[in-house]
Order: sequence, then C-alpha cells, then structure tokens
Amino acid sequence: MPEAIETQLKKGVLALCVLALLSKADSYAYEIASQLAHDIDMGEGTIYPLMRRLQSDGLVETYLVESTSGPPRKYYRLTTAGRDSFAAQKAEWAAFTKAVDDILGAAA
Amino acid sequence: MTRAEFISRLKRGLAGLPATSIADAVADYDAHFDDAVAAGRTEAETAAALGDPDRLARELRAEAGLKRWEETKNPSAAAGAVFAVLGLGAIDILILLPILMGVIGALFGFFMAGIGIFIAGGFVFSAGPFFDPPGGPAVAILGGIGLMAAATALTAVTGLVTVGLVNVLVWYGRLHYRLLKPAIEPQA
Repeated sequence: MPEAIETQLKKGVLALCVLALLSKADSYAYEIASQLAHDIDMGEGTIYPLMRRLQSDGLVETYLVESTSGPPRKYYRLTTAGRDSFAAQKAEWAAFTKAVDDILGAAA
Repeated sequence: MTRAEFISRLKRGLAGLPATSIADAVADYDAHFDDAVAAGRTEAETAAALGDPDRLARELRAEAGLKRWEETKNPSAAAGAVFAVLGLGAIDILILLPILMGVIGALFGFFMAGIGIFIAGGFVFSAGPFFDPPGGPAVAILGGIGLMAAATALTAVTGLVTVGLVNVLVWYGRLHYRLLKPAIEPQA
C-alpha cells in the first residue's frame, strides 16, 4: 500500500518539521502552516489539528502576544518534553535517511 | 469559496461535537483567515490552501471519536469509533455494511448465547438437584457451575474479540487518513 506509507511518512515528518521550526524560534500557526504545508503538500488546514495534538501530548505550549492588528496572537513554544522528543526524532530521522541513502547510493 | 462559506461548512460538519471543540476549531481557522488577509492573500486563495472544510470536519470528528474510544472502552465509544472511521470514507460503506452487519450479528449472537447458557447453568445448579438427575444432585450442581463458567468464558472472549476488531478498524483509519495520528507511533 504505497499510498498508506506516504500518508504515514507525511504525518510523522510534518510533526517533526513543526518541532524543528519551533526549536529555532517560537511561532504562530499561520506562519508554521505557510512555511510547511506547501513543501510537504498536506493542506494548510492540517496544521491546526496537529498543533492541538502536540499540545495535548505536552510537546508544545501556547502563550498570547498582543498584536498591532486584530486580536492577540497565539504563539507556540516547545516544552522540555518537546525538546527531548525533537532530539530523539531528529536522531532517528538522520539514521533512517542515512541508511536509505546508503542503499540508494549502492544501487546506483 | 468565501471565508463565511468555509466557516459555515466547517461548523455544519462539526455539529454534534462538544461546543468547546467546535469553538476551538472555528477560532483556529478564523485566525488563519485574519493572518492570511493581513499577508495580502484573498479569501478564496486562503480557503483553497486550507483544504475542503467538509473533509477537515470529517477528519476532526473522527479524531474526536477515536480519542474517546482510546480513553473509554464502552459500547457507545466503540460505535462512535466505528462510525467515525466509516465517515472518513476509508472503506466503501456499501461493501462494508453487509460484512459489518454479519460481524455485529455474530458477536451479538455470541453475547446472547453466553447469557443464555449462564442462565441455563444457574437453573441446573439451583433447581437440578430437586429433579432427581442421573448421577445424583452433586452432578447437577457441578454441571450447573460448569455451564456458568463456560458462559462467562464465552462472553469474555467475545468481548475481547470485539475490542480487537474495533482496534483494527481504528488502526486502518489512522493508516489511511491525513489528520489522524500515525498508525505506528514513534518510539520516542
């Protein structure tokens, strides 16, 4: 089922990318969505349920920042658990892609 | 699609969920439109980039239904999870429905058989000794206890099979749909 595998990959990778962005700087959902959704082709709408899930899993937390235009904006930042999870997932990703690259390189 | 249309279709699709969940989801997408317009995008562009609101609503509902099943394993949560996965359109309902009816019928039959055998066992246990059974009253009492034990075992196994089947369906939904958690959790 290649389609199911692709869906699984994207779901996992999208969460990893969100954690990566937040590890660099706190951000709000619109910014995250517009930076990521197009690259990974998940539809911007997908970010919101993902943010909610990361929050309920305790990986991110929110705080409000007054905005010059409109209502205060909800910013996300990583929690300690979020940082640990990001480090672990990043290492896993690096090991996985290296293994795949080695196989692809050997096949060429 | 305009912003108002997107939000109203999303709300319609989420009807039936707790009011706070609906309000949270609507607030998320409202804020998204605010930011997009501030960034100079049109409502139509923004709505297109967000994706189909009906589908988003179905997937949000499914997520809520599956979460409830994971938290409480009771018949209503099981039904909720099953219908949530069906609602995703992950499995063609016309193909699945006859099979599902068969499976539900069989499971219901096993539960009923379990209850029936238990009652019969109770009858043999309590009334059997007074009807002068072959082998004496002790045989009737022990036989009754045996029947009740067998019925309890049958019901318990049916319960486990039901939970297992719902979990398989949930796993299948997670495997194929975008918003739901990965079917295979990261090890971290």
